[in-house]
Amino acid sequence: MKTIMRFLQRTALLALLLALGTWLFYIGREHQIFLDNKSIERDGKNFRALEQVNVSVKSKSHGDAWGEPIELLARDRDVVVTVGPKFSLKAEILDSMGGDVERVIEITLEPGFQKDLMLSLPLLNAARGDFILPSPGGVPVPEEPAPAAEQAGNP
Amino acid sequence: MNKTGKSFWALLADNAVPIVFIVISAIAIPLSGFSASYLVQELLVRIGRNSFLILSLLIPIMAGMGLNFGMVLGAMAGQIGLIMVSDWAIVGIPGMVLAMMVGTPIAAVLGVFCGSVLNRAKGQEMVTGYILGFFINGVYQLVVLYLMGWVIPVTNPVLLLSRGYGIRNAVSLIGIRGVLDNLIPVSFPFMGGVVRIPLATLLVIAAFCFFIVWFRRTKLGQDMRAIGQSQPVSDSAGIAVNKTRIIAIVISTVLACYGQIIYLQNMGTLNTYNSHDQAGMFSIAALLIGGASVSRASIANVFVGVILFHLMFIVAPMAGKNLIGQAQIGEYFRVFVSYGIIAIALVLHAWKRNRDREAARRSLRGPAGSPAKEAA
Repeated sequence: MKTIMRFLQRTALLALLLALGTWLFYIGREHQIFLDNKSIERDGKNFRALEQVNVSVKSKSHGDAWGEPIELLARDRDVVVTVGPKFSLKAEILDSMGGDVERVIEITLEPGFQKDLMLSLPLLNAARGDFILPSPGGVPVPEEPAPAAEQAGNP
Repeated sequence: MNKTGKSFWALLADNAVPIVFIVISAIAIPLSGFSASYLVQELLVRIGRNSFLILSLLIPIMAGMGLNFGMVLGAMAGQIGLIMVSDWAIVGIPGMVLAMMVGTPIAAVLGVFCGSVLNRAKGQEMVTGYILGFFINGVYQLVVLYLMGWVIPVTNPVLLLSRGYGIRNAVSLIGIRGVLDNLIPVSFPFMGGVVRIPLATLLVIAAFCFFIVWFRRTKLGQDMRAIGQSQPVSDSAGIAVNKTRIIAIVISTVLACYGQIIYLQNMGTLNTYNSHDQAGMFSIAALLIGGASVSRASIANVFVGVILFHLMFIVAPMAGKNLIGQAQIGEYFRVFVSYGIIAIALVLHAWKRNRDREAARRSLRGPAGSPAKEAA
């Protein structure tokens, strides 16, 4: 009986730790959000790149306040980093002269456990539900050779 | 008067190492030309960065296992936790806590292994732990250089070497850099400057100090102290000596894992293959400089040691530069004096131990001309 109780206690503790780890993973995950302002085809229709759009993001990485707006012209792509399970995005679509704001779109997204997201701004402007595109992968990094044995910490 | 003189010399002899460092620092501080606010700021940062690692050494000393050179095993476990967290892109306090959670089981397993080995090398724990550190370093390199990205899933190209497996020499910890230090931002004006206090880190360290004080009073803590006094007597009293010694090393290794994570969150960069190398040596050096010995160490020794050891780190290069024109001379002097004093501290301890043993042996024989001797 004592052994069973001990086993149950240990299993419960392990489950609690796993749950805590999963929760930390969920709330602490950093996401790369790629903002894509390129023309795109969907269902045989062409959605043209926006002339100019300013995108701001609100997440834990910005202290839960709107960050500096990112200016994207047609065919631009940029990346913004967010932290936490959800973030808000505000897209201010400017007229062709780049002066007045024609439309403001505000959405809240939940990347959850996903690492990266790519958002198509022309599809978002067209109010289509499939504006989340497959992630293009990480930012390229410089190559580095393998460390030699003496560099690898040998005394 | 004579008694007072004797106690003065005994006090001087017992605290010779910190006194030498205080004298050297008193000479070097004015020579360095640093402002008081700069020195206080640097010291606060270094106390926050290093104290946890040094505090992790106290429990094995309590159990009579000497200075735990095997703490680098825990440091390696912490680094593995940080690498995994960096790969998963977990940032902030959650990232730091998750790194600790990943590192804990690794540190515990390494601690059990280390404790078991040290139980087979009783009386030679320090040198065994030191060499064990090199051995596990080889295993760590195998894991990090060859298995990560190949067997262990690591996919972040920022971490991986261009060949597709193995971790790069330097890993940026920008996501967790200073998260604990800056969690509770406090600063105050001090002698013409502004000093920032890493309050959250200091609170964690204070909690650890309370834990040690509490732990000493527990049954396990009392067992460890008894083992530290005499293993044969503890064994006769029914204390599971080997098991308790393993527990002491496991606690120390796990705490060293946390200490290394706290250290690296302050630094902001993980030097994958070298960061852990000096963790043990620097912590042990600081503790000895604080007036601890192989068999006796207190929380006060930790803080005195951190302050004196790191004060030398801060002022010695600039003092050397201002005195001789070369910063390297000061740095050389610091290394020479610091490690020379560590060697002297260890030699003094061995000498004192032998002297005490000899005195104990003599006391057992009894005075010359005792009835037992006359009867013989």
